[in-house]
Amino acid sequence: MPVRQDRRQFLKTTLVAGIAVTIASPGNSALAALLERENLRPAPWNPKDGSLRYRVDATAKACGDKLFAYDMRARNLPGWPKDQAHAMLLRVTRADRVYAGFDLAALGEELKPDRIVTAADLAKDGLKFPPFYGDDLLLPEGKTPAYLGQAVAILVWHDFARYRFAKNALKFRDDTIRWGDETGPLERDPWAAFRYVRVGGETPFDDDRYSTLKDTVVFPGGYKKQLPQWPEALAGGKLGEQGMAHAQAMARELDAPPADWLVLARDYATQSIDTAALEPDNANGWYDAANATLHLIVASQSPQEVAEECAKLMAASRTGAKRLVLHPCYTVGYGSKDHTHMPFYGFAASFYGDGRPVRLANDRYEQFQSSLKRHAFSMKYRVAVERKTGKIQIFTADMQGNGGGRCNFSPSVALVAATAAQSIYYVPRSDMASTALATRALDAGSARGYGTLQSMAATEMIVDEIAHELGLDAIDLRLANVLRTGMKNTQGAIPGGALRADEVLEKARAHPLWKDRAARKADYENRHPGRRYGVGFACVQKDFGTGAEAAFAQVEVSREGKIRLRHIAVEIGTGMTSSQSVLCARWFGRPADAVETAQTDWSDLPLVATHDPWLMQQDVQDKQEKNPRWTPHLATPTSASNSAYFYGHATSEAARLVFNHGLWPAALALWGRGYGGGQLAPLAVRREDARWVDGRLTAGGLAPLTLEAIVAHAYEAGLVTGAVVHTFNRWQWAEAEFPLDGAAERLPVDALALRYGDGAKATTPNGYRVVDRSRVFYPPAQRNNAGVTYYSAIGTLVELAVERASGKVHLLNHHSILECGNAIVPELVSGQLQGGIAMGIGHALHEFLPLYEDGPGNGTWNFNRYTLPRGSDVAVWTQTGEVLPALSETDPPKGMAEVVMIPIVGAIVNAVHHATDKRFYDLPLTPSKILAALDAPPNGDKA
Amino acid sequence: MKTRPLTLTVNGRRHGPLDIPEGLMLIDVLHEWLDLTGTRFGCGQGVCRACTVIVDDADGSREMRTCITGAHWFDGKQIRTVEGHATRDAAGAVTAVSPVQQAFLDHYSFQCGYCTPGFVNAATVLVERLAKAPIAKADVEAMVGAALEPHLCRCTGYVRYYEAVRDLVLRTPGLVKENA
Repeated sequence: MPVRQDRRQFLKTTLVAGIAVTIASPGNSALAALLERENLRPAPWNPKDGSLRYRVDATAKACGDKLFAYDMRARNLPGWPKDQAHAMLLRVTRADRVYAGFDLAALGEELKPDRIVTAADLAKDGLKFPPFYGDDLLLPEGKTPAYLGQAVAILVWHDFARYRFAKNALKFRDDTIRWGDETGPLERDPWAAFRYVRVGGETPFDDDRYSTLKDTVVFPGGYKKQLPQWPEALAGGKLGEQGMAHAQAMARELDAPPADWLVLARDYATQSIDTAALEPDNANGWYDAANATLHLIVASQSPQEVAEECAKLMAASRTGAKRLVLHPCYTVGYGSKDHTHMPFYGFAASFYGDGRPVRLANDRYEQFQSSLKRHAFSMKYRVAVERKTGKIQIFTADMQGNGGGRCNFSPSVALVAATAAQSIYYVPRSDMASTALATRALDAGSARGYGTLQSMAATEMIVDEIAHELGLDAIDLRLANVLRTGMKNTQGAIPGGALRADEVLEKARAHPLWKDRAARKADYENRHPGRRYGVGFACVQKDFGTGAEAAFAQVEVSREGKIRLRHIAVEIGTGMTSSQSVLCARWFGRPADAVETAQTDWSDLPLVATHDPWLMQQDVQDKQEKNPRWTPHLATPTSASNSAYFYGHATSEAARLVFNHGLWPAALALWGRGYGGGQLAPLAVRREDARWVDGRLTAGGLAPLTLEAIVAHAYEAGLVTGAVVHTFNRWQWAEAEFPLDGAAERLPVDALALRYGDGAKATTPNGYRVVDRSRVFYPPAQRNNAGVTYYSAIGTLVELAVERASGKVHLLNHHSILECGNAIVPELVSGQLQGGIAMGIGHALHEFLPLYEDGPGNGTWNFNRYTLPRGSDVAVWTQTGEVLPALSETDPPKGMAEVVMIPIVGAIVNAVHHATDKRFYDLPLTPSKILAALDAPPNGDKA
Repeated sequence: MKTRPLTLTVNGRRHGPLDIPEGLMLIDVLHEWLDLTGTRFGCGQGVCRACTVIVDDADGSREMRTCITGAHWFDGKQIRTVEGHATRDAAGAVTAVSPVQQAFLDHYSFQCGYCTPGFVNAATVLVERLAKAPIAKADVEAMVGAALEPHLCRCTGYVRYYEAVRDLVLRTPGLVKENA
């Protein structure tokens, strides 16, 4: 399945479509000194307790150094002209009539742009969007806009002051765009629809009768009035028809359930939001015509995509450009800078600076008007529970996500929403359908949560209501249904490792906030007349990764003992640079001394990818994998909570290779020096005995050695001093056998190159030798249907009070219990937890964007009316959190940056019910909605 | 476009007279004329405070929002931006950070760091104010909350910023009344 459907076909790391691509990312150029100066210092490491004192980028960030693309100007880039031109995009504010050009008379003669670029100019120069983004980089005259806020022109000024005043003059005007005939908004078929049907076996551990993993995802044959036309229900038919027969049987049973079942049918809705990344989308590009070279600074979570696609666009254009130099920077996006269109607008604008670098940087109004949004969802849920046991029998869902007017990741967001909806529960039979709608709303994409925030928060609301209906404790009901280790998810896949949601639930059940909630409510309401007190709980588990996680990582140690890490990963604020650096400490006794992020030049391990990894057929994989330089996928964007587990795997495997084939044999040689085998000879020492203590290596009582001494010998002896690995994971790791030291070694990587010490022959540009695999074991293509196998779990208890007079919610306290394996840097995990919860609070209570004409596409939205949580909104002094201890020190670190924001949403809604006796199904929970419910006549407890 | 000369002192260094158009906000001058981009553009309407700088005058230090305050308002004034807090060597490399910055480092206070300059300046102004007018220990959390509340952060949930400033205030001699 196209979990991340980016349709990439082919990439050579340094030559794309005949265009030479150089990535001048942090670490290897003059810009690098500017960007990663801090990283080139040793990490603030305490070797005594193996802790990092602070983030490796901390000083630079606290001092306001230039780290973001937004900070960069032409004068900062060595070799660039100093005169910076500035550009803006002119955008439409309606999408119901034919676009007929624009009128800049409001600018007068003085503020007139120096260059105006329209669709006609782009057509002449052969510039367009990459295929992923569809048509119309700029909307041509004569067409109805596909969505609100669609760009129609790039306006360029050669100086800042006129740009600033012109931009101010063009704000909030309705008379800039000219309109033709009214057409109504475009009506288009949905971007995609999927249906996941499963009928489990006798017990959760028996084989499924039908499941996506075993059988198929059900796809529609087409659409009628935007509704998917699912296959006919036929028990003996094709796989999809069989699935529909099971779905039909479930629907009939829910319509006429057995007497001892409770069937709850509820409709949920959740809003569109802006990720509100404080760095607005931006780019700064200079086309050096004399050298046919485009230099481009971007703010992107997916620089590999930008490099590849810009190169292809250049090759297909009539610009004459032959070379691309890309500068990815540190950034922030929460998903909204993953596969976003801004880098391509910046790319196109670069060709119209008349020799000057062109900076295209959103202000906040423009950011609201154009950045990728979180999908609004509507969800129809039906859940059947056996009354006497509280066991879930059937869960069906029909959900629609609003993907807006340009297809971004909407298909996979819809898919992930459906496959995640089961959350922490075992569901014996399920039918989860999901559709990504095409509308005139702004395009929605990869936003933190990726569909699961929407669907799992609703699940937690319906579970709370079921418990209430059955008169059961809501955590008891959850425990009765919790997905335990070895049980299958709604796709029929068995998640990896031990599932520990049950431990989270047990801890929550014993917490004073839950245990004492009745007494606390009575006490609080006595002391606070006019306020209603409530405690709510929700618990979810969320996937991390995308089903085609691919990474390159390189770890090498210099002759002087300096450890260098290169990685594809982008620093988006999560602290990935710090944690990947720390992963090296296990193998080198201290973190990497230098970390170079966002790397796309992997010429030391040249690989090819040929097909979409999510759509790949088994026969294609079987054929292609015979080429030892082939991989299903080259590199994954920094997203999907993927850095700790997936990127960390690549880092650790590269570091491990250097240790196992370089440092360890070198250390043994040093310990074995002297007559009769020296201090080593009398001892039985194994590699697993190796320990770094206070920066020195010891094992089984051998004298500690410094890294520098070991490395010096590794160089002298021609041992391994550097490794580049490529890793691939399709809900399980690709493994391969490599001829190493005369034996076949099976490793969880699919390609590697090694650098050896003195006297070794190198075959790659930077002194490496590719070690071609002798056998490879890729996860079967069918495993794409698993949907998910990696989960992190979290439960959150919320204590709040509702003001009866105003409906305002006051968050008093919250406590979270997180399971995420071994944290690499515990402070970073804690920070993600706190930050994710704040974002969840915003989603539940504050943030809201109308989808259409009154929404952000009209260019009038900013933080004055888009309310982000502040310190007083998040229970900043009272909140607590805990992380379940890992099962052992060998548990891998798990992705947790998205899951942490989800349970707080359901917990708040459930707490408001506890406070007010009113159920709410429509987010955000604004004071006016709550007040309306409180003021409504008492006709049941539905609001 | 009418311009006027602007002279101001930023981080102890005098700039100007610069020929600056009337109506331009200070943040644009910091970014485009002085290349001081640590003062961050967030909203352009004074709501998020990422653009906060410190103005020093006879009454002490105070925060000003540079995205909504005209550049010429600062004529003749002394301001501090985030770039001015740490001690730097001749090449501009940081040799020592300020106590506020160190507190943020030690607490892992920020993530992306885009809003950090505003928090550094707000906390610095608070610490300088408390040095002149110490408060009771019991009031520290409320005071920190009031000082930082106007500042938006999207990454962190604020906890590590607030705790860093609280701990700094509590452990810095002279900011808290000992017997109150």
